[in-house]
Amino acid sequence: MPYRASISITVNGQPHRLEIDHRTTLLDVLREHLDLTGAKRACDRGECGACTVLLAGQPVYACQLLALQVRGRPVVTIEGLAEQPDFRPVLDAFVANDAGQCGFCTPGFAVATYAALQSHPGASATELRWELVGHLCRCNAYDNIMAAVQDASQRRLGTTAPHTERG
Amino acid sequence: MDSALAVVGTSIPRRGLAEKIQGKAQYTADLKRPGMLYGRILRSPHAHARLQAIDISEALRMPGVHAVLTYRDVPAVRIDADLLPLDEVLRFVGDEVAVIAAESDVLAEDALRLIHVQYEVLPAVFDVEAALRPDAPPVHPQGNLVGGKELVVERGSVIQGLSAAEHVFEGTFHTQIHAPVGMETRAALAEWQDDAVTVWKTSRAVHANDRQTLARVLGIPLAQVRVICTTMGGGFGNKDESRLSVLAALLARQAGRPVRLEYSRAEEFIAGRNRQSSLTHLRLGVRQDGTPTAIAMRSVMNAGAHVASGMQVTRRTGQGAMYLYTCPNARFAGLTVYTHRPAGGSFRGLGAPLGHFALEVLIDQAAVALGIDPLDYRLQHHVTEAGQPGQRTTPAGQLTPDEPVEGGIPFSSNALRECILAGAERIGWRQQHRPHAIATGPVRRGMGMALGIYKGGTGREAEAEVRITPTGRVQVAIGNVDVGQGSSTLLAQMAAEALEVPVHSIDMVMADTAITPPAHITAGSSTTITSGAAVKLAAEDAKRHLLERAATLLHVPTVRLEAGQLVSIAEPSRRLDLAAAVAGLPGDIVGTAQVTSGSTTHLVNAFAAHFAEVEVDMQSGRIRVLRYVAAQDSGRILHPRMAENQVSGGVLQFLAIALREELYVDPRSGVTLNPSLLEHKCTSIVDFPPIEVLFPAPPDPCGPYGAKALGEPPVVPVLAVIANAVANATGVWLYEAPFTPRRVLEAIHAQGR
Repeated sequence: MPYRASISITVNGQPHRLEIDHRTTLLDVLREHLDLTGAKRACDRGECGACTVLLAGQPVYACQLLALQVRGRPVVTIEGLAEQPDFRPVLDAFVANDAGQCGFCTPGFAVATYAALQSHPGASATELRWELVGHLCRCNAYDNIMAAVQDASQRRLGTTAPHTERG
Repeated sequence: MDSALAVVGTSIPRRGLAEKIQGKAQYTADLKRPGMLYGRILRSPHAHARLQAIDISEALRMPGVHAVLTYRDVPAVRIDADLLPLDEVLRFVGDEVAVIAAESDVLAEDALRLIHVQYEVLPAVFDVEAALRPDAPPVHPQGNLVGGKELVVERGSVIQGLSAAEHVFEGTFHTQIHAPVGMETRAALAEWQDDAVTVWKTSRAVHANDRQTLARVLGIPLAQVRVICTTMGGGFGNKDESRLSVLAALLARQAGRPVRLEYSRAEEFIAGRNRQSSLTHLRLGVRQDGTPTAIAMRSVMNAGAHVASGMQVTRRTGQGAMYLYTCPNARFAGLTVYTHRPAGGSFRGLGAPLGHFALEVLIDQAAVALGIDPLDYRLQHHVTEAGQPGQRTTPAGQLTPDEPVEGGIPFSSNALRECILAGAERIGWRQQHRPHAIATGPVRRGMGMALGIYKGGTGREAEAEVRITPTGRVQVAIGNVDVGQGSSTLLAQMAAEALEVPVHSIDMVMADTAITPPAHITAGSSTTITSGAAVKLAAEDAKRHLLERAATLLHVPTVRLEAGQLVSIAEPSRRLDLAAAVAGLPGDIVGTAQVTSGSTTHLVNAFAAHFAEVEVDMQSGRIRVLRYVAAQDSGRILHPRMAENQVSGGVLQFLAIALREELYVDPRSGVTLNPSLLEHKCTSIVDFPPIEVLFPAPPDPCGPYGAKALGEPPVVPVLAVIANAVANATGVWLYEAPFTPRRVLEAIHAQGR
């Protein structure tokens, strides 16, 4: 018989108390218990980045953590970021550069981009590219994603003319 | 851009992208219904087996489990000619044995282990040669050669053409299993209300496949089946089969509650449909000056246990051989073979990249052997706007074929020459391309090119409905799905252009059988051309009705649209806002159209010329791509930014397929050995340089607003481009893709370089 566990978890500023099977991942809690489906299940084993969320400000694969491991650290999902004014440059840059096609991997890329620009403001294009190496996009919109990431970096720093690798 | 066009040709923001970025777009697996259960599938551990006994009682007794189905509990109605919803015979490792619905995903997983099965293991066959032997174990009762015979198309006579040749070049080329790997795995959610069912599904064919199949297998009228695809997380020619819809609907009916059935990534690799592996033999006969006299291709495809769209994959393998070079004699023969490997299916480009690999490598071999620059060879011999020599056999007045065989029909447009010249100019071919295999040293640099021909997107039926509502907003309904390529944006642009209204006043309604007109499968790079033609005509129809109404309101004979206003042609001072013209209408102004797209006089095909510069490490066998230029002839580009994204994405997708992607199925057990994104490594963001995309072609006279197909054509030449660049650098010809370091090293040693 499955073991049950009771957890407290704060997601996007909202505290929740849940009764879960102890094997439940953070991703399952978000998607199936809290109806936050912006983090996608594409591999469920830490190989694609589509489920990326922020745990205490750091990007993590939500599928690779049991909900029990979260232990009081705040979780922010793409739905939470979308409400934050400082996410706006990422959103605008992704739209302006057509940085997605089917969009399934896109929230993960957007969360990772936000986190990379927070922790490395002024990072070079190459540094930013390596920040996203843990994310797969099968539409391969990578050239546009890179253009968007650099554009977002510029927008965030308040410089206007975006300079892209693509030239 | 044509100055007469307002919206078409501009790069407006992609529809729905902001919602997708913010995680607000709803994909099938994001949907939940009250009381919903979670489905899981028990899969066969054997490649070929018969169920001797299956005991589900323990699983059914487990708390939280609401339904378990085996072949005994489902209708024995075929989904495809070779496929039942569940079967007593299992035909590949991963074939569906039973399905279960439980309160949660983990409970369903637990319950799978409580189903007790006894298998009678049967002899299995995995390779095509063995499968075609008379004593081979039959995968299906009708025999292992699908359709019972070779598929053959021929123009002229290759026997005569080969005897007229002064040189014959010959080669055998292999490709492995290609997994499409949409980031969204397959999912279906079924909910019954009395005797009617609604199924949400990752589907490229809600009308043509899922709704039809569900009604037939469930034994209920079509009117009681609704199928919806909300947002699609990547299609790539996949997600067209209906087994998942049927199983979800049967589980939900049995459980009396909604059921969502979702594939894991491993299931997606194993039980999703992958492009069949191929073995292609090609003979190319040429005169001393290089002029082709005969092109003869024969391909044998390993279709796995179910053929799905495999026959089209086989047929499409031959399109390049039949039509890319001017030649009076061309023949393609294709065999599609059942084996006990996982089921084959379609993937972007179907067989075209496989056939082009063989064709374009042999063309380079011929050019090199005859001392002709491969660029000049192609400029000299590529098929021109005149088409192939010969006589038209398609009856006059009938639509021309999209995968042509006969000669005597010109193309609506053919910008191969412009693509070759623009691409060569961009990569610097004349300055930097060096003769074959003169590079020396441990790391050798070379340049290669290849051409591509592909279906132009015509030949299917489409219906569209355009409604101008009393609020002034316009609703465009079409049964196809936006697989992620951006068709909802393009179709809205076309509707806005035809109606002369702002594009932001257009609402797209797609892929819901209850509220959209019937549609063909979203396939063959046809949405822009075929559905686009229907949308344009329906919008023009709605506009006619709108102008008639405005004329009545203004009491004038004729009215035209001008900057959002309806203006009397005779007295331009008499005018009316669009909003005023439709306000107070009892209902919508409705425009409809039904078309079969294409031409009765011309062939409509898309073309490409691609170029790459690579470095080959002679000691490790590693290939590094330094530059890649893709020049496409897809007629007028309706949305430059999305088009560029789609071309660079297609090329990047196929660069990993050229260099490393391969789904390994063990040749002794039939087990899929690398069903994960770690072991099956797709392109990542650090692997390749940015792709340089060019659109040098003029508008096409046939397609709506001058467009031709774009979805698949960019992937067609990629394998050949890389193989030719490697040969230019090293003198080593590659006959087996993917070009992994091991294969490259083996070729280097075998060919004595």
